[in-house]
Amino acid sequence: MVTDVMEPQTEVRPTVATLPFWANPRLGLLVVIAVLVVVFSSLRSSFLNVDLTIVPMQADLSVFVVVGLAQLAVLSLGHMNMAVGRMAAISGFATGYAYDKWSAPLVVGLLVGLAVGALVGALAGWIIAATGVNSFVVTLAMDFGLLGLVSLLYSRFSDGVAFHVRPAGMDALRFDTFSDYCSGNVCGPQVPLVVPIALVAAVVVGLLFRRFRVGREILMTGSNLRAAALSGIPTGRRIVQAHALSGLLAGLAGFLLAANNGAFSANIGDQFLIPSFLGPVLGGTLLAGGAVSVIGTILGATLTEVIQTGLNLLQFQVQDLNVFIGLILLAALSLDRVRHVLAERRGARI
Amino acid sequence: MTVLERFDRATIQTSLRSTEFTLAVLAAVGFTVLASTTHGNLLTADTLKALFQFLAVPMVIGLAQMVVLGVGQMNLSVGVLTGFCSVITAYLMVQSGWPAWLAVLAALVVGLGVGTVNGLLVVLTRINGFIVTLATMTIISGLRYGVHGTATFQNYSPQLVRLGQGSVLGVPAIFIGAVIVAGLLAVFFRRMSAGRRLLASGGNPLAARLSGISNDRSIVIAHALSGLLAGVAGVFIVASSGSVNASIGDDLLLPSFAAPIIGGVALAGGVVSVLGTCLAAFLIRLVDVAQAQYGINPRWVDLIVGAVVLGAVLISQLRSRVSGGSP
Repeated sequence: MVTDVMEPQTEVRPTVATLPFWANPRLGLLVVIAVLVVVFSSLRSSFLNVDLTIVPMQADLSVFVVVGLAQLAVLSLGHMNMAVGRMAAISGFATGYAYDKWSAPLVVGLLVGLAVGALVGALAGWIIAATGVNSFVVTLAMDFGLLGLVSLLYSRFSDGVAFHVRPAGMDALRFDTFSDYCSGNVCGPQVPLVVPIALVAAVVVGLLFRRFRVGREILMTGSNLRAAALSGIPTGRRIVQAHALSGLLAGLAGFLLAANNGAFSANIGDQFLIPSFLGPVLGGTLLAGGAVSVIGTILGATLTEVIQTGLNLLQFQVQDLNVFIGLILLAALSLDRVRHVLAERRGARI
Repeated sequence: MTVLERFDRATIQTSLRSTEFTLAVLAAVGFTVLASTTHGNLLTADTLKALFQFLAVPMVIGLAQMVVLGVGQMNLSVGVLTGFCSVITAYLMVQSGWPAWLAVLAALVVGLGVGTVNGLLVVLTRINGFIVTLATMTIISGLRYGVHGTATFQNYSPQLVRLGQGSVLGVPAIFIGAVIVAGLLAVFFRRMSAGRRLLASGGNPLAARLSGISNDRSIVIAHALSGLLAGVAGVFIVASSGSVNASIGDDLLLPSFAAPIIGGVALAGGVVSVLGTCLAAFLIRLVDVAQAQYGINPRWVDLIVGAVVLGAVLISQLRSRVSGGSP
């Protein structure tokens, strides 16, 4: 689902159709994922073990899909969000605070966290839109600021490290899969309860950029700011909205991670920055803005997750994982480049 | 990356010079205030030595980032590469029994080599430099642990450590080293044609190409130089700390951007400021020292540095808008 507003509406279908099928990065990702799954499961049969591998993998994947979407929300503008991890942390703090101090129910705390995430994101967007300063700098500065703020808040309002209070339903999110819920003899699949949350987020973001006016206008702003402004799009407002969406999704990712770990701690989001770029970039979203691919982001995140789990089972050390993930990122992008050049030679317009 | 309005070149130069001036004033004021409020504690030989001892690495790291920003690129691998080089230096001395000077040289070569690979990857694949260095950063952060796991190296070359922790006339030796590096870099960008070409490529790639400059070569040179500087920073760490492990460099990435950005270096490329970057690194170091002197929660440092980065950018934006008319 590549959404590209650069091309005139009438021409979108024909140009896509003239590209050879192998020039579609999504298809390539799917093939690579399939091959890796076959390789890993033939090397280690435990790769297909539902309880030990498949279920935790889905839970992790839900977090990283949402993290990828948080970055994708601003990549649509050609912006970056270097504070994606820390926005997750501050939003997680707000959620934990609501549970701890107000004894808020699960959903209310989540909404508080999402609102805080969206507000912080909107603040970043507002600074960028109002001053014209590069998004990289603004979010980098916010990352520094939030890093300090989050630890200060945790040491002031919690036992110093984390909120351990868990409202009703939190443990279910952490441990249960749909197979624990049966009606009669029919039980659900072995899918953790966090997965549908991530899926809903993906579908909403996908629809937003494909069908809704706001999303289309954000993409338009990303592909050509001046042209968008001249066409009467309130570009400033769209920038604020895209960053708010990024903050909100970062908050959601933080919540999912906290649900998986069982506590809201200050180090939520520490590991978010690199994966947030891996998913969208592997999936074919450009840094230049104007085009996003939600399905690509899901596939890109899946690829990283499959590699991590597989190499873990093969007893590679964490540091070796990094080497392989980096190499695969480079290889995938270089192949993408080769594919484009070849497709161009065949006369297809890209 | 984003829509950064192109400024008139002269305006940039003026605003850069005034940024440097502002930073110098800020640094002097900050230093004076800190010295007077701590009852002269800052001026004792030990505190002063520590102030400059730990300024050397952030300064060189900031310069390493500044060089690539000059051609409009970014180098995310700068922090982990520093760690990698320092681990390699220690490994060669402890495990392979190499003499210190050879190990140092090897670390510099490794830095230069990795930087060159970064540059070649950017040029050959035409992938965005941000993504290429994101990938190499991931790879190097893994390799770093591949050298010797999580273990710590220590008890290597006493001469090197004595040099790194020693001082000349009360000034720490590695700070002198950092100042020399900064001076050489300033000469490179101001006087040498390679440096001028690099800035030309960063400022306006099309114009540079039309004047016969190879932008590809500029990009490779910038990345190679950035890698070399990361190697220098790695050597400084080995020499000054006396023990190194693979976690070095994890917390250097964001500070590497803070110094050049506060120092007035444009992300769009074409403008560098060695002096501004060094002064900004000094200011950040002052915040660190203030935290230690007043016994503030260290977390405030991050908060303050974030605010300073944002403030510096906003002010320079505002100033160019006022002075330049249409930005």
